[in-house]
Formats: sequence, structure tokens, C-alpha cells
Amino acid sequence: MSEPLSKIPGGMRYYFGAEARLRRSVEDTAMSVFDGWSYEEVTTPTVDYYALFERGMGHAEAHRSFRLTDTDGRLLALRPDVTSSAARAAATLFAERARPLRLCYAANVFRQQPRSHAEWRRESTQLGCELIGAGTASADMEVLIIAAEILQKLELSDFCITLSSVEIFNGVVAGLSLDEPGRAEMQRLIDIKDAAELQKFLAPHAPPHEIEAFARLTRLSGKRRTIEEAREVITNARSVAALDALENLWRVIESLNLTDFFEIDLGDVSGLDYYTGLIFKIYLAGAGGRVGRGGRYDQLTASFGRAEPATGFVLDLDAITEVLARNGSNLAQVSDSSVTVLSPANDENALFLQAKELRARGEKVKVISDE
Amino acid sequence: MLTIAIAKGRMQNEALRLLAGAGVSVSDEALRSRRLAVEDESGAYRFVFVKPADVPVYVEHGIADCGIVGRDVLLESEADLLQPLDLGIAACRIVVAARDGVKLKEMAALRVATKYPRVAEMHFGSLGIPVEIIELSGSVELAPVLDLADCIVDLVETGRTLAENGLSVVEVITDSTGRFVVNRASYQLKSEPVAELVDALAKVVNESGRKDD
Repeated sequence: MSEPLSKIPGGMRYYFGAEARLRRSVEDTAMSVFDGWSYEEVTTPTVDYYALFERGMGHAEAHRSFRLTDTDGRLLALRPDVTSSAARAAATLFAERARPLRLCYAANVFRQQPRSHAEWRRESTQLGCELIGAGTASADMEVLIIAAEILQKLELSDFCITLSSVEIFNGVVAGLSLDEPGRAEMQRLIDIKDAAELQKFLAPHAPPHEIEAFARLTRLSGKRRTIEEAREVITNARSVAALDALENLWRVIESLNLTDFFEIDLGDVSGLDYYTGLIFKIYLAGAGGRVGRGGRYDQLTASFGRAEPATGFVLDLDAITEVLARNGSNLAQVSDSSVTVLSPANDENALFLQAKELRARGEKVKVISDE
Repeated sequence: MLTIAIAKGRMQNEALRLLAGAGVSVSDEALRSRRLAVEDESGAYRFVFVKPADVPVYVEHGIADCGIVGRDVLLESEADLLQPLDLGIAACRIVVAARDGVKLKEMAALRVATKYPRVAEMHFGSLGIPVEIIELSGSVELAPVLDLADCIVDLVETGRTLAENGLSVVEVITDSTGRFVVNRASYQLKSEPVAELVDALAKVVNESGRKDD
């Protein structure tokens, strides 16, 4: 039996009407904030070599892309992210440009997802920016402020950006005798905040008082006090340096009166293979999952022949639009009241002459045709 | 308000007992009613009673902020949830069982009947044993008896049903107990009430654990 043509592939969808308008205005808002911070829009290829994404995102993430073969047999992919391509451009096309580079985009990405997941979208739109060639704390702060500004401009107030650093986990794990699978298991247990299992798992690898301390890691989240609590249990130099950096960042956030929108979450240990310093996640009331993520990725551009520091984030346009739509946002209201309806006349020339004049004055018209 | 999804059935009463110990109790009247969503006496919590397999769904979507459900269900669901607490309730095991005396070694393709296709596939996959998974929704013990399958992967509490059907445990895949799970966004956006509930529950679990010893 053949599939009916009416069927739409899972994880794909239409947008129309009020929702389409809202999407457009969310995108415009984000792009105007990026522009306000002097970020330049870049459009990357929709189809690119799979090898690019494998290098850029790591195998585990890249293998979820939709793949196809080129005429010469090389493996292509529908882009599963934009950052890989932006990093390549920075190292090649924009190699001669002054640093830092500020790039932004609104682009759809495609990922195969297991059906069971809550956010089962296989096509989604990322609003993102990359700040390449700046390794300073102020570069990290810049992208955080931009993310917060976009959400505020969208009149969203109940959001939370959680901060951590991959170096805190890396420092802790370096002191333990763990092989790669062991490291991955420890990461998984911290990620799901399962303190009891973590203690059991670590028993052969560390003295009891340290295990207690690491188990607390999973629960350490909150405001500034979190950093002080962490200092009591984490003493290795690498992690302490990361805590110092987070504390400095927090000081800036305090001075900007933005503490309501930020939290420290030292139990965030995702994307360790990719990020090299600060990592952050963006949560929004009304969305079940995260609506954005970002961080510092200083190793990525080296893959394309030019090692330089970089930081950035992406927001999930679809998830944000869904929340706005449910909250009854009036961000993209249109009124039909000012439409001039033009009825059919015997003289089509006159009809369109009138329409043309109205349009030249910027007015909205609607031509009614009757059969 | 925090919404808590509770797996109906086996775990429900023990879960409510723990919650009551943590200061969150539902009136008997509300429980006796046939409503599927009820509020606690303080009005700070709402309970929804759903099928066990649906608990991870409600929590991952953020419709419920937290939930109480067995580890067996979590292993099968793949949902991306926080699991901060092992409640130690409704303890049981996921096992491979076969008819007494049947050898499962070196079969070219093992026919496995189960309600846990994912767990079964992962288990035999890690052993390098090729399997044909036969997904059933109940009375799994019947499958080997009627020769629909060579063995089953199922949840076992006392083992009585197995024994009565002439089956015995070949190996234990993993243990399972009730877990307290939390939605990732709720954990951040409602951090205070969530942390309070986790702490209160942890205290009750520790105390009842000590009593058992």
C-alpha cells in the first residue's frame, strides 16, 4: 500500500497565520538586537559536507544529521548546526579580517530525533551569534547580555540563564583514576543529578570525604553563594581557576542588576567534548525543555587551520514562539481594519490603477475577484 | 504550584505515604474520588495520577514538574529527566526468565517476549546475542509456555507468577525501585519549592531506611 500524499513526515510542520507572524517578529527582534551589538548576518550553506559537521560538533551529535551523497559519492548533510560552518568561514573566508569577528544568523537546522522526546522537531530554527577571536571574560559577558536582552525585548521575564564551566568538572575528574567510559558515566550521573548513584559509582575511585563533596556538586545551584559552597568542596587548581572566572562574571552580572535572570548551576556538565570554558543554558517558564544554550569553544576553529578563542549561543525560535503564542503575546498583531477592499470592475485597468496608487501610499489592499 | 505525576498502581500508595511523611498530603476524600488531578491540603501541590509509562512523558514536557515512577519505566522511556532521588519503594528486578531447564546459550536468534523492548535489546545487544523482540502488553509469562518465545524479559517482585508458570530466572538485568524525577526547566525555574520537596523526601527515605535496618 502506498503512503497517502496527505501525510507529513514526523517532526516536520507548517507555520501559518498568527503563529507565522509571531515567528517572523521574534526573528526580527533577535536580529535587530544582534545588529545593535554590531553582529553581521551570515547565511551558511544548507547542505554541506558531513565531515564538516563531524569535526565541528563531534560524532555523537553529527550522526543525527540527515545524510545524502553527492554526485561524486562524498557524504553530504542537511546542516544540523550553523556554528561549524561559521567557524570554518572564520578560519578561511574571513581569515584576513580584524578580530574579533561578530557573526549572527537565523537559520533552520535539521536533526534526526528519537520519536520519544518531548521536543520532537526535526527541523528547527536557530537564532544564534558567534564572537570569534576574543578569549576574554568580557567576550563571555557580551554574549550573555545579548541573550538576556533578546528575551527581555520579547517581553519575557520568567526566564533563567544557568552558568557553569566545563573546567570545574574537568578539574575534578582529572584527580580521579577514571577511564573514558568511567568519565562518561560520572558525567551522566551528575547530569541527571543522581547523587546516590554517583556516590556508589565513585566509591572505588576516591576517599569517602571527597565522594561526599562530589555528590554535592550535583545539587549546587543558586546565586553567588553557590560559588562559595563549591569552594568548600573543590580545591584542585584547575577547578578553582574556573570558579574564580565564574565569580568575576557574577560580579559583573550583579553590577548590571541582572541577577534575577541568572543562576549558577555547577551540576551542568553537558557538551564537555565541545566546550572549553563557560557553558550556559537558557530556560523559559512555559517551555518544558531548554530554549537555548551556549558557551566558549576555543578548540573548534583549530579544526579548520586557525586556532582562536570563540564564544556564542543559540536560541530555539520555535520553542520561544510556542511560549509567546500560549501567553497571548501581542508582539505580532495585525489589524484588518485599514485594508481597502477593491471590488471587481468591468475595467481591470482602472482597478489596478487604483490599487497601484494605494500601494504607492503604503496602504494595504485586497482585490476581490469573483468567478 | 508544583504538579507531581504519580504512577498509578503498584507504587501509588507507597509514594503517597512518603509524600505525606514529607508534609504533602492529599485528603482521603480527594483520593476516593475518581478525579485524576487533585490538590493537596495546602494547595501548593497538584497531583496527577497517570499510567506508569506516561509519567516520564508528562514530566519531560513540563506539564508535571516532578514525578514518581519506577526505574524500569525510566530505562524503557529514554526521556531526558533529572533523577535526584531513589525513593527505595516498590523494589523489584528486571530479569530474563525461561522455562525450567531451557538453555539459552548459543541460539542463532533468541525469541524474547517482553513489555520492555528497549531494555531487552540493550541487554542482549551488550552480550552480542541476536534477538527477535516480541512486544507484548501483558501476561508475558504465557509466551514461553505456549512457545511464542524462548524467554521473557520482565519485572519480577516475588517470582511467584514465574514459578506458577514453570519459569525460572536465568539472570537479573537490573534492580528497580521508585524514583523521584524532575523536569529540567522546573528544576531551574521553580528551584526553591523543588529543592524543598527533594530535601524533605530525602529525609523521609533516610529515616525509613534506617528503621528497616
